[in-house]
Amino acid sequence: MGASGACIETTIRDEPRGHVGTLANRVAGVPGVIDVDGLTKTFRVPVREPGLRAATKSLFKREHREVVAVDAVGFTIEPGEIVGFLGPNGAGKTTTLKMLSGLLYPTGGHVRVLGHEPSRREAAYLSRMALVMGNRNQLNWDLPASDSFDLTRAIYRIGAADFAAQRDELVELLDLGAQLDKPVRSLSLGERMKAEIANSLLHRPAVLFLDEPTLGLDVTMQRRIREFLAGYNTRHRSSIMLTTHYMADVEALAERVIVIHHGRVLFDGALTDLAARFGGHKTLTVTLGDPDQLAHLTGGGFGEVVEVAGASVTLRVAADHAPAATARLLGEFAVLDLSIEDPPIEGVIELAFASGSP
Amino acid sequence: MRALRVALLHLRVSVMNELQYRANFFIQLIQSLISVATGLIVLALIFDRTPDLNGWTRPQLLVVLGIYSIVGGFFGFGLEPAVVRIMGDVREGTFDYVLTKPVDSQVLASVRAFRVWRLTDVVVGIAVATWGLVALPNPPSLTELAGGVVMLMAGFVALYCLGLIIVTGAFWYTNMDMVQDLFTGMYRAGQYPTGVYPRWLRLVLTFLVPIGLAVTTPSQSLTGQLTWQRLVALLGFVTALVVVTRLIWKLGTKRYSGASA
Amino acid sequence: MTYLRLYATLGRQAISTNFQYRLNNFMFLVGMIAEPVVYLVVWSSIAERQGGALDGYTPGMFAAYYIVWTLVRAMNITFTPFGWEERIRDGTLSGHLLRPIHPVHYDIGWFSGWKVVTIVMWLPIAVALALVFEPTLDPTWQQCVTFFVAIWGAFLLRTMLLWVLGLITFWTTRVTAMFEAYFAAELLLSGRLVPLDLMPGWARETARWLPFESSFGFPITALVGPISGRGLAEGLARQFAWIAVSALFLAWAWRHAVKRYSAVNG
Repeated sequence: MGASGACIETTIRDEPRGHVGTLANRVAGVPGVIDVDGLTKTFRVPVREPGLRAATKSLFKREHREVVAVDAVGFTIEPGEIVGFLGPNGAGKTTTLKMLSGLLYPTGGHVRVLGHEPSRREAAYLSRMALVMGNRNQLNWDLPASDSFDLTRAIYRIGAADFAAQRDELVELLDLGAQLDKPVRSLSLGERMKAEIANSLLHRPAVLFLDEPTLGLDVTMQRRIREFLAGYNTRHRSSIMLTTHYMADVEALAERVIVIHHGRVLFDGALTDLAARFGGHKTLTVTLGDPDQLAHLTGGGFGEVVEVAGASVTLRVAADHAPAATARLLGEFAVLDLSIEDPPIEGVIELAFASGSP
Repeated sequence: MRALRVALLHLRVSVMNELQYRANFFIQLIQSLISVATGLIVLALIFDRTPDLNGWTRPQLLVVLGIYSIVGGFFGFGLEPAVVRIMGDVREGTFDYVLTKPVDSQVLASVRAFRVWRLTDVVVGIAVATWGLVALPNPPSLTELAGGVVMLMAGFVALYCLGLIIVTGAFWYTNMDMVQDLFTGMYRAGQYPTGVYPRWLRLVLTFLVPIGLAVTTPSQSLTGQLTWQRLVALLGFVTALVVVTRLIWKLGTKRYSGASA
Repeated sequence: MTYLRLYATLGRQAISTNFQYRLNNFMFLVGMIAEPVVYLVVWSSIAERQGGALDGYTPGMFAAYYIVWTLVRAMNITFTPFGWEERIRDGTLSGHLLRPIHPVHYDIGWFSGWKVVTIVMWLPIAVALALVFEPTLDPTWQQCVTFFVAIWGAFLLRTMLLWVLGLITFWTTRVTAMFEAYFAAELLLSGRLVPLDLMPGWARETARWLPFESSFGFPITALVGPISGRGLAEGLARQFAWIAVSALFLAWAWRHAVKRYSAVNG
């Protein structure tokens, strides 16, 4: 286990440094739409200790601690790619997106999007990209959405024909027709979100950064947003980078995923490879009809026992062995209920560390 | 007296909370000093040109300025935060939490929020008023002093009643921000004794937006200009106001409970 | 001239939005008149005591001064420096930084539209005040034109000045005392408290070197007088000069504020 553990760790760590080959065959040396190399962001955080003496001391001498939020991240994204940017909370996803959009200055490294350096915040760059974060409120609540669209048009200096075409397309794709002329205040949360998204894309950006676009939405809404993004990408060949917690978002949209944790890229490649490499197991949950057979099941070498709850046992089984194990279980026991699940993405990542550490 | 215990508890929590931010004390103190300094400069400008303003001499106006600051201090310390909190609760629909507690809702709603550092206005105000009193040719007698304190408290109670009535209006008509803006604007008029104003404004500032009552009347007592009869009459008015306010509050909360089914 | 569409759109939408809140606007204006009425009553009573006029200002002239004051004050109200803290905290600032225009255009354009609604709501109040306080007002057409230009210049100037002041928030949140000190100085040296002619000499001298008078006292005096043709021209020139200076200062300060923000918050 030790040798293979070290093998996994090396594979995780070494691969993402420098540029990784993408799914499409790249001509060496030709820059992508998004080029990131050694991108680093360090924050100086004041250290505050409890207690009166520490508080008084802090009035005179402030102590700081350095937090590395993003650690030498590198990747290249081609025109038209949709990339899922995955990682648990605090992994550095939002920080990276902010650096890509120019909101945050990198502490080190090199980043270029559409040939521009984002932190220079050139109008030419800002007019061709969009960052959509879930809680943004760009629309004027007292006026109809169409008024806010007009304002966006004025801000981005979109020509009349382009504006009409893009607005109509977005309204159609997002099914907003009926909501355009009512004050935004009177729209439901889902309708408002759709209108906000439409508003963010009126200038037809070539690059989209989406931070948790489906967070907090109901299932129908989530599906509709995914369909919309896929359709938008197909029509306009815009590059899309989205961060998300939901595996469903990634499965529906992104062929390629970048996994980030503790500020470092852990994995960059096809989604199927990720599941294969780290998620190489499945979770079987069996509910027995006869609780007396529990001991036979748990001791029967079917797989690693994760949890026992009443007459239900949860097992972790290697993916290739799952069909065989299922057949055996069904054959040897009176089974009331059986479910087979893929591991959740966070679990996969956590497992990756667990196996990677010495 | 459960209500009193609750009030003291809230106060203690607020104090402990704000003591953490000691810098805020200095910031608030500077603000109080700036306010009072501005007032003093205005008085200097006035008395550069005239020996008295509508019969009020310079030391007397110092007392008025001091009382204005004291009233403002108590207002910012206890009344304003409570009113803002109630308005916020009604808007967000969380006012139910007040109504379902086993303490009288009016008392509870009135004592929930305190901004301790606003008391710097009171301290500065006392200093200025004392300066004025000391400079008076005839310092106030004990009864006049007592009268001043009584009227100060009465005036504050009157302001409290006004604040509560406005807030209760929110139970019927949620957008009371407008009315708040209106009354905040008129508050400044209390900086000078109401005698300066035309009669109609004087009445408004005494009985409608009682900032005039709260500032002018104690000042009058402290400077020996308040008659017994007037004091009693005004106390009677304030008492009636308290009763009316309570009635309106009861009506309002009943309406609120009925409306938010 | 591509900013024309932006300002036109912003102005139009500000008018639409604030028209919905016209009653709020009206009540706010009504509350606002307490301050000038206090000053008016105090100074008029002193004038009467001095035998009818104080430094040449009769109660009728004070009335004119303080009634026009209400419009100028309304035109002066702009994005408060206290608003930056919330803007930073609730993500509005990041939203602005993602768009290809300087956010000051947004504020200037929006408030300009708002001012149109304000002026309309002010008219009945002005009439009521005029009926009660009987102002002496008899301006020439040059004064009227200058006044109209000057109130918009005052709005623009104060918007930029307070914008720059608010940017201090990027470096520290302990700004209340600083802002209050600024406003206190402004109160005394702008002509808001009392016509600058009535302030002591040292105050008048200091005010000449500060922009406060250009954003408040000058527009009032332009209409109410006494002022010569030359005084009108000088006042306008001074106003434009201050606008130019604050614009430069704003551009410089904003660049540094953004750098600071992007280094720390994003």
